[in-house]
Amino acid sequence: MEKISTHQFMTLGAAVLMGGTFLLLASGVTEASGRDGWMTVLPGFTLAIPYGLVVLSLLVQYPHKNLLQISEILLGKWLGKSIGLIYILITGYYGGLVLAVLGDIYERSIMPLTPLWLFYLGGLLLVLYLVGSGIEVFARFSEAVFPVIVIGLVLNVLLAIPRMEQGELLPILADGIKPLFFGVLKVMPFAMEYILFLAGLATFLPTGKNELGQLRTGLWRAAFMVGILDMVVVIIQILVFGPVETIRLANGILELGKLVEISRTVSGIESLFMGVWLGALVIKISAFFFMVTWGMESVFNLKGLKWNYLVAAVFMGIALGFTRGPYMLRELAFVEDYLMFPVALIWIPILWGVSCWKKGTGVQ
Amino acid sequence: MKRKWCNKIALVLALLASMLCLTGCWGKREVEDLSPLIGLGFDLGQKPGTYLITEQFVKPKKGDTTISADVDRTFSLEASSLREAYEMISKIAYRVPFMGSLKVIVIGEDLAKAGLMNVLDFTQRYAEFRRSMYLVLAKGKAQDILNTKMRSGTLTAMYIKNNIESGDTISTFPTVRLGHYFTVLARKSTAPIIPVIERTKSGDGGIEYKSESKEAQELRIQGAGVFRGDLLSGFLNDEETKGYMWLENQVQQRLIDTVDLDKSQINYAGQVLNSTTKYHVKTIDGTIGLEYKIKVNIAVDEVLGMKEQVSELEWVDLMQEAEQRFTKVIENECQSSFQKERELSLDFLGIGRHIEERNPAYWKTVKDQWQEKIADFPVSLDVQVTIHHSGMSDSSATTN
Repeated sequence: MEKISTHQFMTLGAAVLMGGTFLLLASGVTEASGRDGWMTVLPGFTLAIPYGLVVLSLLVQYPHKNLLQISEILLGKWLGKSIGLIYILITGYYGGLVLAVLGDIYERSIMPLTPLWLFYLGGLLLVLYLVGSGIEVFARFSEAVFPVIVIGLVLNVLLAIPRMEQGELLPILADGIKPLFFGVLKVMPFAMEYILFLAGLATFLPTGKNELGQLRTGLWRAAFMVGILDMVVVIIQILVFGPVETIRLANGILELGKLVEISRTVSGIESLFMGVWLGALVIKISAFFFMVTWGMESVFNLKGLKWNYLVAAVFMGIALGFTRGPYMLRELAFVEDYLMFPVALIWIPILWGVSCWKKGTGVQ
Repeated sequence: MKRKWCNKIALVLALLASMLCLTGCWGKREVEDLSPLIGLGFDLGQKPGTYLITEQFVKPKKGDTTISADVDRTFSLEASSLREAYEMISKIAYRVPFMGSLKVIVIGEDLAKAGLMNVLDFTQRYAEFRRSMYLVLAKGKAQDILNTKMRSGTLTAMYIKNNIESGDTISTFPTVRLGHYFTVLARKSTAPIIPVIERTKSGDGGIEYKSESKEAQELRIQGAGVFRGDLLSGFLNDEETKGYMWLENQVQQRLIDTVDLDKSQINYAGQVLNSTTKYHVKTIDGTIGLEYKIKVNIAVDEVLGMKEQVSELEWVDLMQEAEQRFTKVIENECQSSFQKERELSLDFLGIGRHIEERNPAYWKTVKDQWQEKIADFPVSLDVQVTIHHSGMSDSSATTN
C-alpha cells in the first residue's frame, strides 16, 4: 500500500483545496457579501479544519481504510455502497466539469481558435499519467507545482498594486455582518470538496501517533494558507476593479494578469500566469479522478488501467457536453452548492456520530 | 512484466502526444503577419446606428526596436459594430489586425453625447484588449485627432500615449484608463470624467510654431469631459480640471504661479514637489459636509517683479507671503471645480463616495436623493502650502 508523508499531505491538501478557486471565487463572494466579500474567504475555508479532524479521528479508529469502506462497516453494506455510488457520481461529474473549466478559460482568454477537445485531451493525458503513477507521484507533483502556483499568485497580486483604486474596500461592514454569512456559504463548498478528497485519501495516510499530530498541523496549515491566499486575491480584485466590476468580470484574476505592466515596458505576460493556473486545474482534476477510482475500487472492486481510461472517457464526455460556457459555470456552481456541499456536510458527521455511538455501546 | 512495459510505452506516447496538443497551433499567428493596432477612434456614423471607426495601425520597420517612428496606416470605416469594422479592415489590409497592442481610445464629441457603452463593449469583452489602455475625449471628431500629421512625425496614438504618461510632471489632467472608467461608472454616485484632447494650430492659446501646412499639427490635452453615465454632459476648463486634480489627490508634480491672482507687484512661480489630499466628514454650518485638507510642498523657481535685494529676514517674510498666495491659487482652482460640480449637478469629484467611505450610515440616508443634494452639499477647504526653498539663490539680482 502506498503512503504519503505528512509534508506531502499538507501540500497535496493545500493544492487540492485551492484548485482553481482563485479563478472564480472573487466574483461569487463579492456578489454575496458586497465589498466585504473578502472577509468571508478565510472563515469559509477554515470549515475544512473541523471536518478534516473528524476524518483523521475516524482514521485512528479504522486505520488503512477510507471513509467509503468505513461507511460500509458502520452503516451496513447496502447503505455504505449507496453512499459510495453517490460519491462516484458526484465526483465524476464534477471532475468532468472542472475539465470543461480548463478549456473554457483558455478559449476565453488566450487561445480562442484552438478546439476545446484539444485542451481536454491535453489535460486528461497529464491527469492519466499522474493517476496511473499513483498517489505518491501525484503528491510529489503537488509538492513541486503548488509553490509555483503560490509564487504566481503572489506575483500577480503584487504587480497589480499600481492599478489599485483609492478606497474601494471602504466602508467596512457598512451593512453589518449579515451579508458575510452568504459569502461564507459560497466558500464552504470548496472546503467540502477537499473533505471528500480526504475521505478517499485516508487509506494512504500514516497512522502513527506522532504522524497523526503532524497530519492535524498540516490540515490547519493548508486551510489557513489557502484561505489567506484566496483572501488576498479577492482583496486585490476589489481594490483594482471595485466591487461591481469584480462581480461582472468572468475571470478577474486573468484580467489582473493582463494589467501587469513593469516599468511601462514589460506587459502581456498573462500567458505565463495561465500556464501556472493550468497546473492548479490539473491538480484539481486529478484529485477528482482519484476520488472516482477510489470509489470504484471500494464499491465495485474495479481497478486498473482500463477503468482509468473509462473514467477519462467519461470526463471527456462530460466536458464536451458543456461547451456553452455560462451553462457550464452554472452547472459547476450547482454541483458545488447543492450536491457536494450537502453530501459532505451530512455524511461525515453522521459517520462520526455512529462511530462514537458504536464505540460507546461497544458494538463493532 | 510485458503488460507493465506496454503500459509504460502507452504513457510515454500519451505524454508525447500531449506536447503536440498543448502548442495551440490552431490559433497561431506569426508576429510578422500581424498589424498592431495602437489607436482607436469612435465617432458617430452618417447612417443611423453606425459609427465612424478610425483605426491606427503601425507597420513596424525591419530591425526596429520601438514603434515610435513607424509608418502610419490609419483607416476610417463606417460600421455598425467593431466586428464589422474588423472585417472591413481585413479585406484591405494584408495583415491580421492585432488589438492587444492598443494604447489609446479616442472618443469623438458627438458620439460621447450619444453614449459610449455600445462602442466600449467590445473593448472590455474581447480578450485581446487590456483594461489599461488610455481613454481621451476629442474636442470635435476622433477621426481628425488620429489623422493629425504631427510635425515630429510621431504617430498620433503614440504621441497621445506618451503625453499622458508624462502627464505626472504637470498634473493638469487626469489619467483615465479603460478599467478606471468602468470602475467609476459602476459607482453610480460618481460621474466619470475623461481628459479632453484637441488640435492646436499655430497661434492657438498663445503657442506658435513653424508649419508649412494650414492644418493643425500639434495636439494638446487640456480640460476634461464630464459624463452622466456614458453620456457626455459638460466640459471642465483648464482651471476646473486643475481643481479636480487637487481635490482627487492626483497631483504629483505641478507647475504653478501666482501671476493671474491679483495685481500684486511681486509674483512667484514654482514647482509642486508633492501634494496630499485628505477627506473628513464633519459638521459644516450645522449640517454634515465634507472637508478637504490639502497639503502642498512647493519649491519657488521664479520671483517676478522684484527690483531690489532684501535681507534674509525680509526674504523669510516674502516666502511666507508666497505661501499665502499659492494657497489662494489652489483654493481658487478648487472652488471653480466645486462651482462646476454644482452647476452640472454631477458628482465628478466623488464627494458621495467619500461620504460613503467615511460615514456609511449617513450616506444611506442621502444616497437616493444624491443628484439633488450635490447642488448645495456643504464642502470646506483647508489648503496648507509649505515652501521648501527658493532655488539656488535667496533674494534677487539687483537692478539700477
